[in-house]
Amino acid sequence: MSGTEQDGSELRTISEPVELSIPVQSDLILLARLTAATVASRAGFDVEEVDDLRLAVDELCVLVADGGSVGRLQLTFLATGNAVEVICTLDGAEVQDGQRPDEYGERELSIRILDALVDEHGEDFEGDQRRGWLRKRNVHPGPA
Amino acid sequence: MEYADRGDERLRNDLVEAHLGLAHQLARRFTNRGEPYDDLVQVASLALVKSVDRFEPDRGVEFSTFATRTIIGELKRHFRDKGWAIRAPRRIQELYLAVRPAVETLTQELGRPPTVVEIAASVGVSEESVLEALEAGQRYRTASIDAPDRQDGSIALRLGQVDGGFAGTDDRMLLAMSVADLPEREQAIIKLRFVEGLTQSEIAAQVGLSQMHVSRLLSASLAKLREAFNRES
Repeated sequence: MSGTEQDGSELRTISEPVELSIPVQSDLILLARLTAATVASRAGFDVEEVDDLRLAVDELCVLVADGGSVGRLQLTFLATGNAVEVICTLDGAEVQDGQRPDEYGERELSIRILDALVDEHGEDFEGDQRRGWLRKRNVHPGPA
Repeated sequence: MEYADRGDERLRNDLVEAHLGLAHQLARRFTNRGEPYDDLVQVASLALVKSVDRFEPDRGVEFSTFATRTIIGELKRHFRDKGWAIRAPRRIQELYLAVRPAVETLTQELGRPPTVVEIAASVGVSEESVLEALEAGQRYRTASIDAPDRQDGSIALRLGQVDGGFAGTDDRMLLAMSVADLPEREQAIIKLRFVEGLTQSEIAAQVGLSQMHVSRLLSASLAKLREAFNRES
């Protein structure tokens, strides 16, 4: 879709993965949201889908951070065909090979929100590494 | 799904009741944007009722997923319609106020939500500016990472952090009684600041005072509370 003309403006699809590394800090999740929004926007997502992806990335970061505050979130954003994929990993998770008890149902809520906003998502962990990913398709793809 | 088949009012009510917790939880995700929590719960609850009425089980989506999507959509719309209540530079506020109607007009014209490129062309600004404005307008709460939970934060706990002295049930009761002695407006401001966790500017926008005025009222109220606390203890 690179080079598509749309209302006189050129859509510059980002074909290379975009990587971002941020400390586990809620005010910096803004950077992840903005990056996701930029990649989705360049991929021709409409404004509602961009908004949904932004919220979904927030929840993905919450899930991967799992209530911890150490380490850095490594995010990769990738526009593939008609979809955007986001992968988020955390090395140095405080809980090894598992998750904290979901005492307040926050994890369950995040999963529910991801179910509602994206097409696919998942998470896994090994040792002190935690990884979550999501994939959202463009519901109104423009001309190829 | 039984309700969709039979249209039984009682089943409908049961379904709404069973998912009210979800509406509350989702409303809480949007609480850092200057809107009272109760208002957000109301929006989310109405959206829940709407989702019960609109749900089509044949589509193969679980009701809770459909309801979550509907509630989030309504909460987003609420903020879009409600206007500006969060901290942002004036340039971004003005930009957002230009972008918002453009989204609505383009949605009608195109028969679908516009892309960021289309909005940028319509408003005459860069894509980056549109993204910046949309981010500011859709600020969201990363509740679980490091933000304190506003709904769980008691006045005593928060004031205790400032003063370092309020702890224990007796102290909390004394504090609650002292707060009740404050004028109504000061009570409301204390609640907005320490229970709902709003900033002074957000409170100022809500109660129709300047941020300086709110700051003075807060300082005076805290001084009165400290005085009452010291006197009684």
